[in-house]
Amino acid sequence: MRQGTEWEPKLVGFLCKWCSYAGADLAGTSRKKYPANIRIIKVPCSGRVDPLFILKALRLGFDGVLVSGCHPGECHYQTGNYRARRRVAITKKFLEYVGIEPQRVQASWVSASEGGKFTEVVAEVTKGLKEIGPNQLFSQERQGDGTKAT
Amino acid sequence: MEQRLRNEAKALLEQGKVDWIIGFESGSLKFATTPLITKDKNDADRLVINPFMVNNLANFLTEVKGRVGIVAKGCDSRSIVSLMQDNKVAREDVVILGVPCRGIIDLSKVERLVGKERDELDDITREGDKVAIKVDGEKKEFLATEALFDNCLACEFPTPQEYDILLGEPSTSVVNKPAAQEKIEKLKEMTPEQRWEFWKNEFSRCIRCYACRNVCPACFCQRCFVEETEPQWVLPVPRWQDNLIFQIVRNIHVAGRCTDCGECERVCPVNIPLRSLTKEMYDLVDELFHYKAGMDKEAAPLLIAYEYAEAEDLFR
Repeated sequence: MRQGTEWEPKLVGFLCKWCSYAGADLAGTSRKKYPANIRIIKVPCSGRVDPLFILKALRLGFDGVLVSGCHPGECHYQTGNYRARRRVAITKKFLEYVGIEPQRVQASWVSASEGGKFTEVVAEVTKGLKEIGPNQLFSQERQGDGTKAT
Repeated sequence: MEQRLRNEAKALLEQGKVDWIIGFESGSLKFATTPLITKDKNDADRLVINPFMVNNLANFLTEVKGRVGIVAKGCDSRSIVSLMQDNKVAREDVVILGVPCRGIIDLSKVERLVGKERDELDDITREGDKVAIKVDGEKKEFLATEALFDNCLACEFPTPQEYDILLGEPSTSVVNKPAAQEKIEKLKEMTPEQRWEFWKNEFSRCIRCYACRNVCPACFCQRCFVEETEPQWVLPVPRWQDNLIFQIVRNIHVAGRCTDCGECERVCPVNIPLRSLTKEMYDLVDELFHYKAGMDKEAAPLLIAYEYAEAEDLFR
C-alpha cells in the first residue's frame, strides 16, 4: 500500500472455469464494472478447492477468499459443486469457531450467464471486507517470531 | 470377558479365519496397556480387557496385510466402519471383537484426584459408577465421571455399532455431557479475537511431532499436505501460524471420519486441547448435515454425499 492512499482489501477468487469464470468474463465483455480488489484463480471445478487453499490464502495475507461455482444441479461434472458446498460450509463454520471472521470466507453460485450477479457478489464481498478491516490474523508481532508471510 | 476374548482370538487364529490379531496387552508401565499385534496363537493369552485400553486400534488396520481380528470399543468400531466407508478396508477382511465399553480411565486425572503418581498407587478398579483407588492400603472412591477421559463423558455409543463377536452385554456409559463440553462452551463465550488469541497461544507450544496425525485412524493419507514441497503449503518448522493451519486443515480433512475417540488430545506431548477442535467439528457436521461418523458402513462418506438443497444460507 502506498502512503496516502486508502487501504483496499485484497480478495482471492477461486472461480469454476465452466460457470463463474465465464460469468466474470461476461461481466467484462458487457462493460460491467466490478471492484478491482479480486484476484481471480481459475479452477477446473469448485470441487477442486481444498479448504487448504483458503487457509493458505489467508496465511499469505489476503483479506478474503471467494469460492464460486455452478448452481446446484448445474455442475459440469455432476457433483463437484455439491462437494464444494459441504467443504466450504464446514470450513466457514469451523473457522468462525477458531476465531476467523466469517466474512473472510465467502461462497457463491454464479453461472456463465450471470455477469451482473458476479459484479454484485464481488462488490458485496469487498464491502464486507472493508468493514472488518485488514487481515492481521497471521501477522508477526508475536514474540521472537521471524516468519515472513510470503 | 477377558478369558472369552483369549479363547475367541486363539480359535480365530487356529482355524485360519484371521492372519492377525490386534488387541491390547499389559504395558511396561503400571496400569498402562499397549497394543498387541500378533500372528502367533500362543500370544492370545497375553490379551487383556481393562479400563485402561486407551488406543484406538483401528489405526493399525490399514498397516497389516491379510485378514484381521481386532478388539474394538464403541468409538473404535466406528473408526473401523469409517475406514470401510472410505474403502480402506473390506468388511470381510475384518473380524471385529467388540468390547462393550464403560469408559476409559484417564490416569492423569486419577493422579490429580489422589495427588500421587501412578507408580505409588496399588490398584485402580471400576465398580459401577465409582472408581476405587487403593493407595497406601487405603481405599478411596471417586465418581467415575471424575476419572474418565473427557470424550468418554460425551460417549454416545459405548457398545460397538458393528461387530462379529460381542464380548459381553451391551453397556451404557457414565456420561456427563456438560463436563465433557465445558472447555468448548468456555471458548464459545469468548469473542472471536479472544478465541484466536487462545489458539495462537496453544499452538505456539506445538512442536509439530505429528503424533496427533499419526495416531488418528481417520488420517490415512499416504502423503500428508504438510510434507508436500511443491507447493509447500506450510513450513515444516514449528511456528504457531503453520501449526494452527496444519491442525485446522487436518480437522477439516477428517470431518465426518472423526468419532471423538480423543486419541489426538491424549497423545499430544504439549497438552494442546485438541479435542476442543475435533469435538466442535464432530458437532458441526451433525448440526449441518445430520451426519455421524462410522455409523453405517454402506453410507457414503460425509464429504462425498450430498443433497440437492443444504447449507444454502452460506452461499450467495
